[in-house]
Amino acid sequence: MNLLLAIVIGALYSAGFYLILRRSIVKLIIGLSFLSHASNLLVFAAGGLTRGRAPLVPPGSLAPVPPYADPLPQALVLTAIVISFGVTAFALALVNRTYQTTGQEDIDELRRTEC
Amino acid sequence: MLSLLPVLPIVIPLLSGAISLLFWRSLWIQRWIGVGGTGLLLLSTLRLLSEVERTGILSVQIGGWAAPVGITIVADLFSAIMAVLAGIIGFCVAVYSWYGVDERRQSYGYFVFLHVLLMGVCGSFLTGDIFNMYVWFEVMLMASFVLVALGGTPMQMEGAFKYVTLNLVSSALFLAGIGILYGVVGTLNMADLSVKLAQTADPGLVTTLSMFFLIAFGIKAAMFPLFFWLPSSYHTPPPAVSAVFAGLLTKVGVYALIRVFTLIFVQDVVYTHNLILIMSGLTMLCGVLGAAAQFEFRRVLSFHIVSQIGYMTMGLGLNSRLSLTASVFYITHHIIVKTNLFLVSGVIQKMRGTGDLKKLGGLYKTHPSLSVLFLIPAMSLAGLPPLSGFFAKLGLVIAGLRLEQYCIVATALFVSLLTLFSMTKLWAEAFWKPRPDVAEGEDEPRSDDEPMCLTMILPILVLALITLTIGIGAETFFNLADRAAGQLMDPTEYIEAVMRTRS
Amino acid sequence: MALMPISIVLLLSNFLSSTASGQMLQLSIPWVPSLEIEISLVMDGLSMLFALLISGIGALIAIYAGGYLADHPQLNRFNLYLLSFMLAMLGVVLTDNLITLFIFWELTSITSYFLIGFDHEKEEARKAALQALLVTGLGGLAMLAGLLILGEIGGTLEISELVANGVLIRRSPLYVPALLLILAGAFTKSAQFPFHFWLPNAMAAPTPASAYLHAATMVKAGVYLLARMNPILGGTTWWFALLSLFGGTTMLVGALVGIRQTVFKRILAFSTVSGLGTLVMLIGLGTDQAVQAAMLFLVAHALYKGALFLVAGIVDHQTGKKDILQVGGLAGALPMTAMAAGLAALSMGGIPPLFGFIAKEALYESALHMGYFAIPAVVAVVTTGILYLGMGLLVGVGPFLGARPSELGRVREAHWSMWMPPLVLAGTSLLFGVRSGLIEHTLLSPAMKSIVGYRFPTHLGLWHGFSFALVLSLFSMAMGVYVYLRIEDIRRAFRPFDEIVHEFTGANYDRCMTNLMAFARWQTDLLQSGYLKNYLLIIFASTISLTTYTLVSRAGSFSLPFDLPPVLHEVILVAVILAATVSAVFQKSRLGAIATLGIVGYGVALIFATFGAPDLAMTQLLIETLTVILFVLVLYSLPGFTRLSSKGHRFRDAVISIMFGALMTTLVIAALDVQFSPSISAEMARKSYPEAHGRNVVNVILVDFRGIDTMGEITVLSLAALGVFALMKLRPEKEEEV
Repeated sequence: MNLLLAIVIGALYSAGFYLILRRSIVKLIIGLSFLSHASNLLVFAAGGLTRGRAPLVPPGSLAPVPPYADPLPQALVLTAIVISFGVTAFALALVNRTYQTTGQEDIDELRRTEC
Repeated sequence: MLSLLPVLPIVIPLLSGAISLLFWRSLWIQRWIGVGGTGLLLLSTLRLLSEVERTGILSVQIGGWAAPVGITIVADLFSAIMAVLAGIIGFCVAVYSWYGVDERRQSYGYFVFLHVLLMGVCGSFLTGDIFNMYVWFEVMLMASFVLVALGGTPMQMEGAFKYVTLNLVSSALFLAGIGILYGVVGTLNMADLSVKLAQTADPGLVTTLSMFFLIAFGIKAAMFPLFFWLPSSYHTPPPAVSAVFAGLLTKVGVYALIRVFTLIFVQDVVYTHNLILIMSGLTMLCGVLGAAAQFEFRRVLSFHIVSQIGYMTMGLGLNSRLSLTASVFYITHHIIVKTNLFLVSGVIQKMRGTGDLKKLGGLYKTHPSLSVLFLIPAMSLAGLPPLSGFFAKLGLVIAGLRLEQYCIVATALFVSLLTLFSMTKLWAEAFWKPRPDVAEGEDEPRSDDEPMCLTMILPILVLALITLTIGIGAETFFNLADRAAGQLMDPTEYIEAVMRTRS
Repeated sequence: MALMPISIVLLLSNFLSSTASGQMLQLSIPWVPSLEIEISLVMDGLSMLFALLISGIGALIAIYAGGYLADHPQLNRFNLYLLSFMLAMLGVVLTDNLITLFIFWELTSITSYFLIGFDHEKEEARKAALQALLVTGLGGLAMLAGLLILGEIGGTLEISELVANGVLIRRSPLYVPALLLILAGAFTKSAQFPFHFWLPNAMAAPTPASAYLHAATMVKAGVYLLARMNPILGGTTWWFALLSLFGGTTMLVGALVGIRQTVFKRILAFSTVSGLGTLVMLIGLGTDQAVQAAMLFLVAHALYKGALFLVAGIVDHQTGKKDILQVGGLAGALPMTAMAAGLAALSMGGIPPLFGFIAKEALYESALHMGYFAIPAVVAVVTTGILYLGMGLLVGVGPFLGARPSELGRVREAHWSMWMPPLVLAGTSLLFGVRSGLIEHTLLSPAMKSIVGYRFPTHLGLWHGFSFALVLSLFSMAMGVYVYLRIEDIRRAFRPFDEIVHEFTGANYDRCMTNLMAFARWQTDLLQSGYLKNYLLIIFASTISLTTYTLVSRAGSFSLPFDLPPVLHEVILVAVILAATVSAVFQKSRLGAIATLGIVGYGVALIFATFGAPDLAMTQLLIETLTVILFVLVLYSLPGFTRLSSKGHRFRDAVISIMFGALMTTLVIAALDVQFSPSISAEMARKSYPEAHGRNVVNVILVDFRGIDTMGEITVLSLAALGVFALMKLRPEKEEEV
């Protein structure tokens, strides 16, 4: 399963990178979302997977009973999910405003700051 | 209170931002909090630096959880110096923004974003945890995203669009790097990483991983070939925003590079650091050539940021105590000088309504004191003695010669000549040349010159004086940088400070 | 204004007796000891000679400038630059530390920049200022590298200590590179061919500055450096060959080009180039006689050339003419000026009893004693001597004799502050000629001792008995007068030569600059093209190549992780995610793309749920739902999915993306295979309940162990909300729209 997940992660990155290389601003923003999925999944999976057991301390015990899933990547991913949600929301607003102020959906036309 | 000193540079801007948010409707209060909060930040960082200088590396285990379980905030000399610089720039820009940023932007939370930006910057400098650094990066980035887009002019939107996209790619790579690093080493605390990686069985994989960090931080630092976001966006927001970005943001990337490539990724320095050296040389060249092709004040300056980044990372690439000393000195000098140049460009922009060199001119005749205030940072940037930039470059050149890295030394010297060329271009076009629409011999400035206001000139003056001080009193600063470099070269003290409470 | 230089002269003369007796005075203040930078002042014979020239002429120039620029609104700025220059120049000749020397050296370049560009509203002035700065700046930086290498091989940055290590330094493998680099600095500063072209252009500076910087002092900094370095670097074949070759060529080229000029200051500038070449050549020859000739010529040149420049300035100031062809018969109107001009011109031409004659005799004498090289050396110096007299007569005599052109109108003698300085300089030429003993033992021989390291007997005087040198001297005087009389033919004849020289030097500079600019634009257009996709492609390509190369070349092998065999529902889950991902790429509608994004998001949530992360799964579900809603809300105000890229681009992008994805997969697999040390999370799990009192370890980590992360996360979220608000509400004003 680790292997399969590694492939999924690779596929998500590929899709994300491909989409942000497109000229349409709408595709770009979807690509960014794919990238954040890919990164989150990577952080979750890179330490190895454990099926089933959540890292909870059962009543009457002082520590979770092994084998349990590594709690630290979960905490990191939780933080990353929330951050990437904030960033995505802002990026959406930005894309929206960029489209409205410039009237361009083609990123290749957004070159006025550099020519 | 003393024990919390390293946390203050994060807490103070957070509180200032929160209080500013409470007074959303009162610009007046927000401005005062802007000045007061950044002033307090500056004081706290100065206190922190003097304390670190006196007693050695300070660390705080947040929540009382000993490293590596909790997150450690740690201030060695390098971090403390960076924090002080953030304080200086924050304070100067806050004062400058009073009139330097229009009221509309101020009424939409400009000061709140500025405070949080500083919080993110200081957090990145002071954290001892790699994932926590990612979080501070995101805080800083989010604030910078808003600041770069705030105001919503079409140019800003186009610049912001590229800025956001490329920085998000960098963040994605950074996060991926952290994920894999954790998977391999099982820890996030940087000191702990250093200890555990020192005994690793497979340094090759770690070196491979280090490439992710090199790229991710290289994007933030605007190194070759990753710098594109910078010249396409830095000239679009108001000058005050450009100034704080120019001073601090790329330097966070440089800081992170230096931190991880002295503390964590030292398995294969011949490979990694030579790679950094090659990238540094190309960064210098591409940046300075880019500047040569520009005719807009802030665009010229933006490309010079790129070029100067090459010098800072050159010290890292050379990887000797002297070269790191020179890097730290260089960063110190550069942050002050670069911010100042952007502030001057803002004054000119406000006065003349344009930053286009072809439309500017005659300022030497009409504003001799502003001319001097421009010359000090400009000549310092070009490395003219005895200003601060000279000693910075000199240190790097000596370090390079001692290590017999003649190519990079030649590049550094040649690029400094081209930098001089660029600075004289700005000088000749904006100051010396007669103003295009004023006939020669006519002394009267056109009536549309807005008068300069004190709150905009004062920060420029202060920064210019700091530049002079760093130049004339180079020994003091060099000494401090040398001790900072000593801590970087031999991380034992850093690791001990982080792990201290364990035993 | 003149008070400061005068007081420096007085101060210096206090030490005259000590330096004359061969003593060396030293004073050292540490500045940046970490980099071995010290402000160490040293005063020996050589320093004294230069320092007196700098401050003495400086005083006269300051007086002159007060008259010359009396009506100029920026006279104060001019004086400021001039004084700064003087101090910097004094610093160059008085310092013992190589870095401090470089610092002062650069300061003279930058003050020269401001002085050349003083007339800053004229484009030529700005261009000339930049050219001078770039040429001398390039040389200066090379010199810095050379000096630093010298410091490394010599073990110290103090010149006086390096002298002791001369043998060691000359034997070092780094001697030649260091020498070449230092020479680059000296040759550019002292306008040696082919770097001389900036000097004639620098004549855009106000005349007092030209006289001071570009004739009497600054351009001699290179010569000073060579003289100073002679005991350290000199005496080798390289030294001899490079200096005498470059110096000799410069001497001839300067004189040959100079003779056909007609603008006062250009004639003087080229003859200065030639004079600097002479000095460099003499130092390169390195014999006692040559060094003696060098010192004599140095003083003679400073005196007559300074005077002639000031005279040219007076003529320009009083008549408005800059060309010798436009003036004539001025002796009556400008009597004092004419006297100064005549004396200086004769000294330049080497006519007795002026000091120039003694210098020229010494020059001829040293050329005669060059053994194998005597014949070319004599031909070169005699040719130069002839042309000097010709040029001297053209500038210093011609304009004052003959008929006065009618368009000149009434001409008045200049204010005394203007004619006095050249007269003093020219008078000094006469005085030193007649009474050479005045400076022989006080100034000249101590200076020579500093250069060669020992004292040797000198016999200065106008009359040395009949010698071959005297014959040559008489010959060149006669030829010089002949050249002056036939100047029109000579101008015509030398024209092609002038053009060739320009083509080889100044025009090359222009071409270099043009090419550099073109290259800068080309590389900037290439890299900073404005196309976001190019930026991304470059970043991706760099990441892929760097990481893959490192992985292949450095990382060990690793095995595929088959340890956790998948169960059916996991395989289905993975298949669904992959299918959604692939279809997202090929989607043609916005809504479809959002739907696939949602499917992937929920799929990820299910993976979290399957592998022991229920909290994560819940959060992911919630956030994904919110994201999809946001997307749907916003996307309707956005354009539809348009296919904009060409087929070729799509293929290229697909290749890059798939490579990147494959790289990530490989890295994850590698990371799964390698685990260096047990994770710190075990300790977290142990501490979770007993110390942090939480049963859910993930929650404990979030709110307690890593609470500060969560604080940052909340900050980001609030900022995003504020940012979206500001972005939506704050629209640009009309004027900002553009």
